[in-house]
Amino acid sequence: MNSRLILATLCALCFGSCFFAAAQERKQEPKVVASSPNQETAAEAADSDGSAPAAANAKPTPRSIEAAERVEGEKRFRANCSRCHQSPHKYPPRVMATAIRHMRVRAMITDEDMRLILRYMSQ
Amino acid sequence: MLRKLKFAILLAAILALSQFRQPIHAQSQATAPQELEQSDNEKPVPIFTGAAGFLTTFDGGDPHLGPIFTGVILIPLGDRWLIESRGTFESDMVQLPGRSGFHGEVEKELEYAQVDFIANPYLTITAGRFLTPIGIYNERLYPVWIRDLPSDPLILPIGVGPSNASTGAMLRGGFNVTPDVSINYTAYFSEFSNFEPLTSERTAGVRAGLFFPKARLEIGGSFQHLLQDERSNLFGTHAIWQPPSLPLDIRAEVVHSRRGSGYWIEPAYRLSQLPFLRDEMRRTQLVARLQQFFTGDLPGSDDLPPVNTQQFEFGVNYYFTDGLRATSSYGRQFSSEGNKNVWTFGVTYRFLVPLGPSGNQ
Repeated sequence: MNSRLILATLCALCFGSCFFAAAQERKQEPKVVASSPNQETAAEAADSDGSAPAAANAKPTPRSIEAAERVEGEKRFRANCSRCHQSPHKYPPRVMATAIRHMRVRAMITDEDMRLILRYMSQ
Repeated sequence: MLRKLKFAILLAAILALSQFRQPIHAQSQATAPQELEQSDNEKPVPIFTGAAGFLTTFDGGDPHLGPIFTGVILIPLGDRWLIESRGTFESDMVQLPGRSGFHGEVEKELEYAQVDFIANPYLTITAGRFLTPIGIYNERLYPVWIRDLPSDPLILPIGVGPSNASTGAMLRGGFNVTPDVSINYTAYFSEFSNFEPLTSERTAGVRAGLFFPKARLEIGGSFQHLLQDERSNLFGTHAIWQPPSLPLDIRAEVVHSRRGSGYWIEPAYRLSQLPFLRDEMRRTQLVARLQQFFTGDLPGSDDLPPVNTQQFEFGVNYYFTDGLRATSSYGRQFSSEGNKNVWTFGVTYRFLVPLGPSGNQ
């Protein structure tokens, strides 16, 4: 009886995650560009560089997106990684990619957090 | 027959999951051209990392020397696979009557050796030998370079099995429910093994946590059912809170089982806000841990205290660099077997060596 219950729980988790993934994929498709950077932050970052107008409705440029992602990456790093350990120094990108994959499994950080932290830690 | 059915169902589940293919760097679908150019530069490379340390402990007045070396090897394969393993060599060297110097055997432990398959952004499937996911200490805080106090919590051995590890399969993952809440979960099954050094108990369990990034608070719970011997249940809760305005970490765990129960709470404060000796202060951390262990109605493992025990510890850590740290602590243990002081001094060093081209920063 117990083992059946456990099996049922595992399967439910499996399929639940599966359907959630499918639903999220569908939901995210049309707004990938808009959701990745915080547009307000992007505009601020771009303004501080002096490379783009500071208007809130300005179209995000690749540079402003990168700046916003870096800011967001640092925020995610502090929220997720520092829960367990002190900040390590930054390593080259390919090393960080492995470390982040390891931490994705170990600390169960989300896909989006992983991507932003990797960008922050390797640049 | 039932086992074959179980494997068939799990295999079907895994195959079904693999249909929901989404690249790990999912956002790159909408990236600018220069990001695509970087993708080769971000291809993961195998790495060898770990830590070395030397701890001197005075336990009730008896000196112990504790050299420790931990190696972790991480081998990424393709976009979705990771092979990871951690092994530890450590010794507890003591003075033996009638002999000079310190003597002790080197203990070898394979803490985990697992294969991870990232099925989709919300699910990772792990098989092999893995750290038993109960609470937060065993999986996240155990390594000598991470832990803020050199000693283990008294309740650590409860439920984690021999060598703190399980042998079997595990499903785990994390996802954002809203921008303000994310969930992480783990479900696992472990088979009994008495093959040294891969010993484990037959168990099944789950752990789930809620993380609130704005408040920087994580709370969660663990459940484990022992599928051998007395077939008992274990319940646990854990919490981590980092107040956004302070360099303070508060971590806590509570565990209840028939083999023993207890809790620990551990605040750690970095002195970076003090207005003098700024460079030194930001490298200094004060830590305390308050913990209690209560024996259960069944005998616990050899690593658990034999009687009800309370312990208070206070420590100071100094970070020379992010990887090199001096650590010291004082603890007072109270139990019906006698009270004692425990002093510890040591140094820990964390290293990382890429085993291939590491890319341009």
